Amino acid sequence: MSLLRKLRSIRGRTVDRRRLLERGPVLLALLIAVLVTNGGGVRQATAGHEDWPSSGVICTTNDSATFTLVTQEGYITEPDGNTVYMWGFSENGQPFQHPSPVLCVNEGDLVTIVVKNTLAEDISLVFPGQENVLANGAPSQPQFDADGNLVSLAQMAPANGGSVTYSFVASKPGTYLYESGTEPIKQVNMGLFGAIIVRPALGPEYAYNDPSTKFNPGTEYLIILSEIDPMLHMAAEQGHSYNINDYVPRYWLMNGRSFPDTIAPNGAVWLPNQPYSSFIHIRPLDPVSNPDPALIRYVSVGTEDYPHHPHGNHERIIARDGSPLIGPGGEDLTYERFTVVIGPGQTLDATFYWEDVDQWDPNNNPIPVTIPQIQNLVFGTFYSGSPYLGNTDMLPVGTQALNSCGEYYHIAHNHALHQITAWGVVLSGHITFARIDPPLPNNCQ
Amino acid sequence: MKGNASTRMLNRRQFLKLGGGLLGTAMASAFLPRSKALLSPIATQSEARALTSPDQGILAQVAAEPDFHFVATDGWIYLPPEAAVPPYHPDNYAPENLTTYIFGFRDVTGLTNDLVFAQKMKAQLTAPTWSLQVGGDYTLKLTNLGLAVRPDLIDAHTLHFHGFRNALPIFDGEPHSSVGVPIVRDLTYFYRPHDPGTYLYHCHFEETEHVHMGMVGTTFIKPAAWTTENKMAYDDAAISGYDREFVMTLNEVWTESHWADSHVQLPEWSDYAPEFWLLNGRVYPDTIAPNGSRNMTTGDLNPPPGRPELQYQPISSLVTCNSGDRVLLRCTNLGFEQQSMRLSGLKMRIIAKDATLLTGRNGEDLTQWSDTLTIGPGQSVDAIFIAPDVTEMTKLMFYNRKYSRLSNGGHTGYGGQMTEVHIYPAGTLPPQTEPNA
Repeated sequence: MSLLRKLRSIRGRTVDRRRLLERGPVLLALLIAVLVTNGGGVRQATAGHEDWPSSGVICTTNDSATFTLVTQEGYITEPDGNTVYMWGFSENGQPFQHPSPVLCVNEGDLVTIVVKNTLAEDISLVFPGQENVLANGAPSQPQFDADGNLVSLAQMAPANGGSVTYSFVASKPGTYLYESGTEPIKQVNMGLFGAIIVRPALGPEYAYNDPSTKFNPGTEYLIILSEIDPMLHMAAEQGHSYNINDYVPRYWLMNGRSFPDTIAPNGAVWLPNQPYSSFIHIRPLDPVSNPDPALIRYVSVGTEDYPHHPHGNHERIIARDGSPLIGPGGEDLTYERFTVVIGPGQTLDATFYWEDVDQWDPNNNPIPVTIPQIQNLVFGTFYSGSPYLGNTDMLPVGTQALNSCGEYYHIAHNHALHQITAWGVVLSGHITFARIDPPLPNNCQ
Repeated sequence: MKGNASTRMLNRRQFLKLGGGLLGTAMASAFLPRSKALLSPIATQSEARALTSPDQGILAQVAAEPDFHFVATDGWIYLPPEAAVPPYHPDNYAPENLTTYIFGFRDVTGLTNDLVFAQKMKAQLTAPTWSLQVGGDYTLKLTNLGLAVRPDLIDAHTLHFHGFRNALPIFDGEPHSSVGVPIVRDLTYFYRPHDPGTYLYHCHFEETEHVHMGMVGTTFIKPAAWTTENKMAYDDAAISGYDREFVMTLNEVWTESHWADSHVQLPEWSDYAPEFWLLNGRVYPDTIAPNGSRNMTTGDLNPPPGRPELQYQPISSLVTCNSGDRVLLRCTNLGFEQQSMRLSGLKMRIIAKDATLLTGRNGEDLTQWSDTLTIGPGQSVDAIFIAPDVTEMTKLMFYNRKYSRLSNGGHTGYGGQMTEVHIYPAGTLPPQTEPNA
């Protein structure tokens, strides 16, 4: 069902007018904010990304592994029509983006991150999984006030123009996150987080320094899972107090977007501040032409375990929190799951493939049941009209069809199903899709 | 890649196409060594198919009768009304003896069309347990009967076989990637299972609502070597061999959302706050009431003896076994919360998760011994315990260690996700013929 159809069906059932009225002032305020922000008609946040691939991880790289992260304020859009005030980091001089840049470095790099803080409160960054992190040249460590009260998990960049420089040697390959260490329940929810990818010396087609972690570098994905309580964000925007005991997430996001925005391409112009896609795009596993699986790097900055369920096939978890699942004696400790549970602050690396095991073919190996005629079914937006990979067939007149070449699609979503909603709009939140193209050569677009 | 081992099934299919009818079905059944795993009352006996008359008109889509025929519809179940959650529980629209509005599946395999359509508003919670076996080909016909209480909802339904490896979208049941089944229409799903294990199934149409409303159940795939005399959950019989098996399908009931559906309202899902935690569609102590059964004349469910209010919750969670039995618990979680199920006084060997034996690619033993298994939404966990020696019937408890989930509607006394394990002296009970029996 398209979002349009979804919205129609919601309207056909019952629009919750009470909630719309309750939200009215918020929506109005945010609408004004958006109008003001966009008033000049100049939004260059993610313009100029025509060279980005439509899906797959978008790395921010730097020959010297030195990154200047400047705080920004901005807005993201949610599929229920709401707009949410956020904080974030952008590379020096760039407009607001959410989430913050994905920093990709090589094993052994000396990584330098200069944080410049324009916000009205102190901030900091912590780098879980990195060792011997320095802040302004001294060991990064918790900060206490004169009375011994903890004020931050790391040295801070003071409010209104302060800065701090963190550095560390990226000694171990893997998937990591960086996130605020100052009042993190607020600042992380507000958007002060991002991912770090450390590539192994073994080569870019490996996730770790072990041959068993080989993947197809053309199909490398990052999915950062997060959640938002919009009341917290409104309080931050308006300078109001907020009781964290009232924390109730209403939005669930992948790479800073909620479905269906999650499957929009990288750098989509209609999501100027939310540049990163979560769409997965593969071809069937083939021992000769496509022997290596895709790699999906999961990062969670949420507050609870997310049970992520990919349809189509299991995923093999090959690493956790930047450590490959290999025992001290070389034991294989990886595992396959049809539901991948990602805990708060955790990272998991998974390989994924889909294999055409039974080789169904309309002429030589037909599926042994009859598919009903088109008037007796309802059709999904991604269906080709044919059950066979690489084939298309008739669809009812008026069907909104997004299928290009008989490719397959499989959903991947959070199975705590109240978390695939967006403040009352169902079928949103933690959902993305995997697209499986027919083997080459094909005429897919 | 695994080979295609379906020759005997294709023979059977051709046989049915040629002969059809009672004789063909009976003979085909006699020739086939595999167990159909139709689990009365949890599902019906395959021989009942002989009673079926062919579908007519728009419902005639397949040449052969399906191995399974399920319907999707709505209905009502019983949760303890004294555990009131005003104004949502008990639902003031509920029929006598019942309390809670649900959507759900029913098994109608072998019923005539008239009897099939008579099952509208007779959904069950949880959905029937069914199983396949590696080496066979299987068909499941899903008919959408519509929602009697909500004729304004023209929802389609689907059956998502959750975890099926290398699934084709057409048989995966996710409606964006394939198709949904409109009201009074049907679709026959086809499965050629390659990978044994314990799986989940549920409707994937408007899934937050349809799953929470009860269109959830457990299915499993038996390995090719499985026989009634030599049962194993996976190919490795040493690890996964068992004498008795019990499906434990976990889910939750948030009474406000069920009430909202019967009262033409929409819940705010981010307020999700269930009050009832269920095992196989019931709360303790109802979990230990016997199985229901199916009346093959009317197609209706017969309630468990003495418990008319449990008519639409036919699956018992009572575990019974003899000393020395290897008892397999096939746990699946179709709720929205992570749970923590404990077997009191005895360690289980957790042998598989998500239909995957806990072994490394080089044969590493990654199974775990524990009295508690953690299971998140959308996961399955298989655990085996060996019943200890007893001289008289001895009881253990299997319950959610999240103690707040052992309450019915927040009221006093034990309830929720809890059941009993009854261990008898060796030789007391005859061999198990069906799961949860």
